[in-house]
Amino acid sequence: MRILFLGTASGAGKTTLAAMYCRHLARTGVDAVPFKASNLSTRSHRTADGGEIGIGQLIQARAAGAEPAADMNPVLLRPRGGGVVETVVRGVPADGPVGREALGDIVAAAYDRLAAAHEAVVCEGSGSPAELNLIDRDLANVGLLRMRPMPAVLVGDIERGGVFAAVYGTWLLMPADVRPLLKGFVINRFRGDPSILGDGIERIEELTGMPCLGVMPFTEVALPEEDSCRDAPDGTATDTAWTEELDRLLDAAAANGFDPGRIDAIARG
Amino acid sequence: MRGGNIEGKVREEIDRGWLGPDRGCAYYPCHFEGQDCTFCYCPFYPCNDPELGEVLRSRRGGEIWNCTYCLFIHRTEVCRYVMSEIERMGIADPDDPRLAAILPRAKERFFRKGKALMVLGATSDAGKSVTVAAICRILHDRGFLVAPFKSQNMSLDSRVAPDGAEIAMIQVLQAQAAGLRNPDRHMNPILLKPRGDTVSQVIVEGEPFGEYDVRRYYEEFVPVHGEGIVRRNLEFLKERYDFVIMEGAGSPAEINIYDSDIANMKAARIADADCLLVVNTEWGGSFAYAVGTVGLIPAEDRRRIKGIVLNNVRGGTDGLREGAAELERLTGIPVIGIIPHADVRLPSEDSGSFRDAGGCAEDGEGRTVVAVVRFPRISHFSDCDPLAADGAAIRYVDRPEDLDGCDAVVIPGSQDPFGDLEWMRSTGIADRLAGLRGSVPVLGICGGYQMMGRSLVDRREQPDGGPKTAAGLGFFDCTTVWDDRERVVRQVRGDLPGVGPVSGYEVHAGRTETEEPPLFRLEFFSGSEPEGSKREEEMLFGTYLHGCLDKPAFRGYLMSFIADGRPPAGPVSGRDHAERVEEGIAALAAVFEAGFDLDRLLGILGAGE
Ligand code: SF4
Repeated sequence: MRILFLGTASGAGKTTLAAMYCRHLARTGVDAVPFKASNLSTRSHRTADGGEIGIGQLIQARAAGAEPAADMNPVLLRPRGGGVVETVVRGVPADGPVGREALGDIVAAAYDRLAAAHEAVVCEGSGSPAELNLIDRDLANVGLLRMRPMPAVLVGDIERGGVFAAVYGTWLLMPADVRPLLKGFVINRFRGDPSILGDGIERIEELTGMPCLGVMPFTEVALPEEDSCRDAPDGTATDTAWTEELDRLLDAAAANGFDPGRIDAIARG
Repeated sequence: MRGGNIEGKVREEIDRGWLGPDRGCAYYPCHFEGQDCTFCYCPFYPCNDPELGEVLRSRRGGEIWNCTYCLFIHRTEVCRYVMSEIERMGIADPDDPRLAAILPRAKERFFRKGKALMVLGATSDAGKSVTVAAICRILHDRGFLVAPFKSQNMSLDSRVAPDGAEIAMIQVLQAQAAGLRNPDRHMNPILLKPRGDTVSQVIVEGEPFGEYDVRRYYEEFVPVHGEGIVRRNLEFLKERYDFVIMEGAGSPAEINIYDSDIANMKAARIADADCLLVVNTEWGGSFAYAVGTVGLIPAEDRRRIKGIVLNNVRGGTDGLREGAAELERLTGIPVIGIIPHADVRLPSEDSGSFRDAGGCAEDGEGRTVVAVVRFPRISHFSDCDPLAADGAAIRYVDRPEDLDGCDAVVIPGSQDPFGDLEWMRSTGIADRLAGLRGSVPVLGICGGYQMMGRSLVDRREQPDGGPKTAAGLGFFDCTTVWDDRERVVRQVRGDLPGVGPVSGYEVHAGRTETEEPPLFRLEFFSGSEPEGSKREEEMLFGTYLHGCLDKPAFRGYLMSFIADGRPPAGPVSGRDHAERVEEGIAALAAVFEAGFDLDRLLGILGAGE
């Protein structure tokens, strides 16, 4: 099983959704690991095998019941201030800039090792996959899909408004070779009665051919965030607090009619 | 009928000739910056022309001709023409019957209905309101009369306009950007003040209209009333201004409510407005949002979108040019602005302002920390902006432990004082406040003031018959009662005795009877009145005045308590917050002016040179 969660913007909720899905797989007895090809992060975590991964992958690994490992986040971009970004490859800061192709090889190799050793790889994209000025240089979204084609799910955040436009527009901007890999979308952070969305969802399903896989209820998520400076529990927070929170999110989503089994079917496809 | 007194004044005006803007007058500008003051008293009064003034019915049934909203007679070209006609015809007497005939001729020459432009956003927080403010200023700087407009605004922050109407704060700010002295009810004819997750109080043309949940709002209010309200107010503004710069709400591409959405494309259709689409580039995905928004709007409305604005660009705009060109190709709509992130502090109605203030930009070394209780139904949260502008860190608090280490507490306004009081108790904030009492200054504003009293009593009809009562925090010996009296909605001014002037506005239904010494003294035509409560020895202050921190006196007074635990020794001077806002608007407009392709923008508006 493998799947890639893409977001229509940063902060759309793909990290949490991927973590929920990791937790769902662990609950159903699937040996799963998280993966994010490259991560811009100020809050990283050392792994036992000498790697350095973002806080998101740490949470997801714990959710999956897997030992955090370097391969889960093979490329880490660490802002050094003054616009300088340091590239960290599997825990080791690179001397200078690393070529795009070399990075691609590193990412593909890490992914392959995870896929060979585990039953499921739950991947997370980075930012939006539809940055017109970046698509060809992008590693974590379209780049990964081109190197290792796999089904993808698009996560849109309704709290900001414009979620239908975001999902439709992202789908429209996907290059033709990648677009068929988009298998569904999720609407995140909805407040109120989801039936009011009905017509809009149907319209997007019609236009894109992607089914809506769920409407996630709005809830304050008590998990640390990649670039937040508030409430910063470090990697020492207990596993149980995070998994309990993910269980709560899964239950709340289920109460809203979300069935992770639909994502299982896509991830197997 | 014109009184003899006014007749005399008009005669003086005619004798004096063309005057232009009278910047020496203490009341300048009573309408708009740059206005022509030749006719302070209108020679055509009462003209009975509904495109200029309106009939006002008094409570006793009398009718008077109201010129509050007439700007025509303050346009320079009109004044010059009228004066030259008066001279040409040799009119010296205001009663000369030939005088009245000049007005229709002036109208024929100079009266044009304005053009509307609508600023749409791909999301909320896209930067629509600042874009509207910037365009208002850009046009105002070029000598046009411009009005902001937002048909329907859901906001927790409102202001009282000079005409006594309650409208959204942001339209008041935009009106200021347009150089207008008197924002009014037409600029935000529908204001939704959320009362719960799905229920809002609906304010129409500045007055309470009713309470609606989302479904009833769209099924009952919008079809029956909404469209008519939008139409008549847009029409009104178009008759008086060269441009009406409209702000959309949320995204225009919410296809599930498209046909009942009166805040976006429907309003654009009613106004026959061209549109700009603003996209916030900060979170990424902006191209997708733009392409998707354009793609989901039906073709007959889509043709109104004449330009795309990429807003809030960080780290240089060059990186976006390539993408922008591709976006133009895909949508067929030119990108007419790439606007860098503007580091300007202006009051904001977006929830984002909480994030900015409460999250990372916290408590710098040695900064004064002002804790603001973040009610679930908080209102008028920009009341504390002036403190932040002075350098204080504003910390929005929804847990008792966040009160630790603060230098002062503000209990702000609330849409639901009973509910929010209960919330303060259940979160433990009320207990923590009681513990802080006397050690740091505590200021309650409006709802917060009511909660500081001994009790709150709502005598209006309750579901169970009896009055609703709640014990307050007990910081003041005062009681607040809600009954059938009209709500208080007014702008006020007065002073903090011995310290300096204050101004502000009140919007509340409850009335507070207090045994405490008053905080302020307010001045009215009828005389002065005490306002608010204070216990200086315990550093407790309560007032109904929103905006009370805008003028320096009360700010300095509060700061003196924070620093020394006592009031200042004498009068306090300092900056008026309004000046800072004015500077912010100018800075914002400069950033937009540089980021816009101005020729294209003015071309769309038909305002090109
Ligand atoms: S509405 Fe205007 S033109 Fe008419 S009487 Fe009043 S000020 Fe004069």
